[in-house]
Amino acid sequence: MLSRVAENLYWMARYLERAEDMGRLINSTTLLLLDLPHGTRFGWDLLLQVTGEGGYYQTHYGKPSEEHIMRFLIADRRHPSSIVAAIHQARENCRVFRNLLPGEFWERINSLYLFVQEGVEQQAVLDRRERLSFLNEVISRRHALVGLLVGSMSQNHAYQFIKLGRNIERADMTSRIVDVTTAVIMPSDPSLHDAVIQSVWVGVLRAMSALEMYRHHVEVQIRPDRVVDFLLRDSKFPRSIHSCFADMEMALSYLPNSAMPAETLGHIRLRLERMQLQGLHPSLLHEYLDQTQKNLAVLHHSIESTYFHFRETGLWGEAVLPETIGASQS
Amino acid sequence: MAGLRNLYYQASTAYDELIQPNGQVRPAAASLLEHLDSLGPENLRARRQAAEAAILAMGITFTVYNEAGNIDRAWPFDIVPRTMPRSEWVRIDAGLRQRLQALNLFIDDLYHGQRIVADGVFPEEVLAGSNLRDACRGIHPPHSVWASICGTDLVRDADGTVYVLEDNLRVPSGVSYMLENREIMKRLFPEIFAHCQILPVDDYPARLHETLAALSPREGDNPVIAVLTPGIYNSAYFEHSYLAQQMGAWLAEGPDFCVEDDYVYLRTIAGLKRVDVIYRRIDDDFLDPEVFREDSVLGIPGLMRAWRRGRVAIANAPGTGVADDKVVYSFVPDIIRYYLDTEPLLPNVPTYLCMREKDREYVLAHLHELVVKPANESGGYGMLIGPRATVADREHFSMLIRSNPRNYIAQPVLNLSTAPTFMGDSLEPRHLDLRPFILQGKKIHVTTGGLTRVAMHAGSLVVNSSQGGGSKDTWIVEEEPACSPE
Repeated sequence: MLSRVAENLYWMARYLERAEDMGRLINSTTLLLLDLPHGTRFGWDLLLQVTGEGGYYQTHYGKPSEEHIMRFLIADRRHPSSIVAAIHQARENCRVFRNLLPGEFWERINSLYLFVQEGVEQQAVLDRRERLSFLNEVISRRHALVGLLVGSMSQNHAYQFIKLGRNIERADMTSRIVDVTTAVIMPSDPSLHDAVIQSVWVGVLRAMSALEMYRHHVEVQIRPDRVVDFLLRDSKFPRSIHSCFADMEMALSYLPNSAMPAETLGHIRLRLERMQLQGLHPSLLHEYLDQTQKNLAVLHHSIESTYFHFRETGLWGEAVLPETIGASQS
Repeated sequence: MAGLRNLYYQASTAYDELIQPNGQVRPAAASLLEHLDSLGPENLRARRQAAEAAILAMGITFTVYNEAGNIDRAWPFDIVPRTMPRSEWVRIDAGLRQRLQALNLFIDDLYHGQRIVADGVFPEEVLAGSNLRDACRGIHPPHSVWASICGTDLVRDADGTVYVLEDNLRVPSGVSYMLENREIMKRLFPEIFAHCQILPVDDYPARLHETLAALSPREGDNPVIAVLTPGIYNSAYFEHSYLAQQMGAWLAEGPDFCVEDDYVYLRTIAGLKRVDVIYRRIDDDFLDPEVFREDSVLGIPGLMRAWRRGRVAIANAPGTGVADDKVVYSFVPDIIRYYLDTEPLLPNVPTYLCMREKDREYVLAHLHELVVKPANESGGYGMLIGPRATVADREHFSMLIRSNPRNYIAQPVLNLSTAPTFMGDSLEPRHLDLRPFILQGKKIHVTTGGLTRVAMHAGSLVVNSSQGGGSKDTWIVEEEPACSPE
């Protein structure tokens, strides 16, 4: 397989995962805000931290407000992590290798793009109720795309690059979503703290469709350190960082020349396993998560230099320029 | 049996491919038209809709420039095929082989001794203004073949004569539409295929692979073949990707390649992979920035070094464009006589060369009845159709001709043949041409029929996809035993 095609597949999968995760995060935050007691400082601006692009937002929009932040995260084409930009990039990348994927894939990704474009034009992002159903539709259409690949695509090299892209982005987004909790500032009335903590962590679990699995496999009580452990290290829950690593390990084992990225992956996996998560102070958790994102960036560069690195001559398609990584930069 | 055919008018003075002037159906089209009549307009409309749906689903598109956001367009397809009896096709087939063979001998001669110039058959001054590439002199491509893939445009005039209109020797396109059109027709009208002996066209990808493989500089059965495409925004990208897929070849863009020690490689996830044959779908100008246009980002730096050392084959070979020139075209009958010592089997359209004073005077005096074409353009761009041009257009062209006579030729306006085309609810005549594809490697192969392009607007003579043309399936029909509807 050509390096350029592999890179396009990898990035398409990353962009699609990013769009879905962003949609989940926005929806669960919207619901969460309704539950929080007064006095809790959990503003929409926390979502800017997830993308790590608060600076960009400030230059273009100024003060944080729900409307502006929603435009920024969903509808701003200049912002590479926005849902519309991510879906657009995924579709442009897909053009290059239409033949490698099941026939309907292109049609569906195209119609997803048209749907998002239309939603953005009709301002579906502003009204909370409309936004909820708009984003749910984006999420379910993205599920259909994944389902099509899982159900109809041979597990060839192309598939492995999709798997790598999907899982590295998912691990990254998981760490960012968990990190949101470390920025919550408690209300001054201590009697409200427990309720706030409950609400916030339920929100996080919801954002990852993890609430039921957590209750089923861990416990009914929502305890922060156990939730963190679950989302980071559970071996059975498919959105946990551990599972993402395991999937990537598997994908690499099917690819040629995978010694270097596999070794990098082994290192960062070991680090994850060694983290002391019990009784963890939020600031320390934040540091851990930050480190995890840095490790993922190292893994990305390792994949890039092993498989896509022949870049010394010529121009590469705009759609895959790594300057637009956004969320994965650290 | 009246239905559709009665709606099909006979007013046109052009030759009709399916229907004789007296209204009788030509034998090769008999059972086709009978079948269409029996279906009636309503059924035909339904099948046209099915065809459109199939085209969308199969992703058969061409690309229109400058339409950001929506770059893929389905190419108009007419469900009424153009038929031709096999006996006639056999003669055309032989003429096409003869023509490509002679052209390859001609190109090879131009890059070596230029015997044909020395012998006074081909004028030196034509060579001076041509696409002759110095970088190609003295090179010996495999089998001495420069043009491995040729798309020759044929037209039929009112008296029924089939003429060669031009030979596309650079990067001819359209063959994928020929193949897909047949696929669609087999889905839409399986019952006709069961009754008529329509010769198949689907071996083209295998023949193309065989032709390209025969050029490989490395021994062995499995040479590495790559289709070099300018990328997804090129109007023929669909075809590049289709052919690569059908041949099991790599589909790659310039930056996917690199040249090391004068060998050409592809950058793959498993490292560098040596390439033996490149089927290039970009023009010479962009092929190698080291030799041709420096600003080309589509090409492969160092490719020409590798090619000149015989370490990679390129089809069509660089420099082939020298024979794809409308002035050179006018000499093809002489070229055939000179190299093959036989008479040409297919006639050229009479052509006036504006570089010749006498011709030029005639052309300038008769602009209103001639078609003027630039020698070096393709895609139907930059033409003047005299009878339909405004006075200002004609004045503009007479200025162009005077300032650069070598670059213009003129031909009489041909009354292109027509075929019934399903427009709205009835069959109407539309003008068309035919582009067969000829392959030459170790052997020569000609497609059975080719791509029929049709001008979808009533009366229009322009069939190019970029200018509102569409296409039809082309049936070469075996007459004996006759088609036998059950």
